[in-house]
Amino acid sequence: MAYVATRGGERAIEQAERLYRQEMGQITADRVAGLRHALPLLVDRVMGEASLYDPDLAALALAQSGGDLYEAVLLLRAWRTTQPRIAIAAPVRLEELFTHRRISAAFKDIPGGQILGPTLDYAHRLLATEVLEGTPFTPPPVDPAAHPAPAHQPSLAAWQKAEGLVADRPSAPIAPDDIPDVTREPLLFPAARAHTLQSLARADTGGVLALGYAAMRGYGNAHPTVNELRLAEAEVMVRHPSGASFSAGRVKVSQAEVTSKGKSGLLELGFCATFGWNEVKVIAGATLDLNAPGAEKGSAVEEEFVLYHTEPVEASGFCIHFKLPHYVTFQSSLDALRGAKAAQPATEEVPA
Amino acid sequence: MFDRRHSENHGPLLTILARADAARIKAVAEAVLPTLGTIEVVTSRTGLVMLPLRDTVQGTDFFLGEVLVAEAHLRAGDVEGYGMITGRDLERAMAMAVLDAARAQGHATVLEFIAQEASIQHAEDEARLRQIEATRVEMETF
Repeated sequence: MAYVATRGGERAIEQAERLYRQEMGQITADRVAGLRHALPLLVDRVMGEASLYDPDLAALALAQSGGDLYEAVLLLRAWRTTQPRIAIAAPVRLEELFTHRRISAAFKDIPGGQILGPTLDYAHRLLATEVLEGTPFTPPPVDPAAHPAPAHQPSLAAWQKAEGLVADRPSAPIAPDDIPDVTREPLLFPAARAHTLQSLARADTGGVLALGYAAMRGYGNAHPTVNELRLAEAEVMVRHPSGASFSAGRVKVSQAEVTSKGKSGLLELGFCATFGWNEVKVIAGATLDLNAPGAEKGSAVEEEFVLYHTEPVEASGFCIHFKLPHYVTFQSSLDALRGAKAAQPATEEVPA
Repeated sequence: MFDRRHSENHGPLLTILARADAARIKAVAEAVLPTLGTIEVVTSRTGLVMLPLRDTVQGTDFFLGEVLVAEAHLRAGDVEGYGMITGRDLERAMAMAVLDAARAQGHATVLEFIAQEASIQHAEDEARLRQIEATRVEMETF
């Protein structure tokens, strides 16, 4: 084993960090609050990938990292380790979500109806360049309906199970303390479903999209249709020392089911959920969950391939470690190359 | 043992306190605090609450992630107060614990505050749900 020392490194490293942070300038509480309110979907994405829900900290991580999402996620994952784990909340159930958006592309007449909620799905994508000329863009206000929507919407999958369209595979109840946790246990394969869904929940949005898109384009086993997509808020149900159950607050969550016709003659479903509102991630993640059973080893939709390659901190960390000094190992490759070249007979010159 | 003098609707009252406006709950807690007697703070900290979610396909409970919370626990005479809120505002969690203890001591002002906050929270939810209802669509096939 050999090592490389960098002479004068300490000063250079400090100046390099200063040069990096110079681009971001002073970070103030106002800037962080501004980021939180102006970029809620980016904040959501960072919280989902960090697997830590706190919009203020996520906005701070974005401010400190200058918008480098992998750095922001790393900051939050690192900070999280400084905190004690106080409790495990009651499991969130779909029917109890305060629902803001809930649609199905598979069934038009779903129980509870189709509610678009906050979306640009049917909007024109036009850049408001007038803002740069000094004219603020002020979104027109929503014209509220005379009556409120129901706060809670039924589960489409539950209706499908009742109709015999989907296999009903009730799982055994599990105590909260016994739920498998990838932050405390190694991810082994075949993975426990709880590990798979937790890994997808904290996976890199871009990575999940790339592999999910590959499956959608035909590199998988099943073509997805969105069975149900939901953006909602979940109550964090904890216990008072007296035993009373109460909500410590609401957190934004996304979840998607995608479906396709299975070989059994029933509909098959894939599932994904994450912190924050992030539709691309949960649709792509549910597509990967749908495609995983029976996938060929090493294929783009095989469970081990998906989960190992969409972990944002490990993937980005491994990628950027290649820029760190590799002179000794690379020199070894060069020596081998030169040795092989020297051992080759001299090539005959071809006359002109 | 924790004080058991809590009504059956203790949970819903705590939910309202946990969601109460930060400035208002702190102001009410400041006003009530001198009437509670000697206070012993048992816990005042931030920490993480694991949030499981039930998969709708196979019914598997899994961890969606961790939620940052602030927690406060105090004793006031022979009653105890507890607060937990999402976020890192320790003062707000302590204000909740103060009001929880004051409610256990029978302070009417706490119930009045909870009633006011419940009304505000209900109005906020209804306003949002009316906006959401405005986005309902009827899909047709041609």
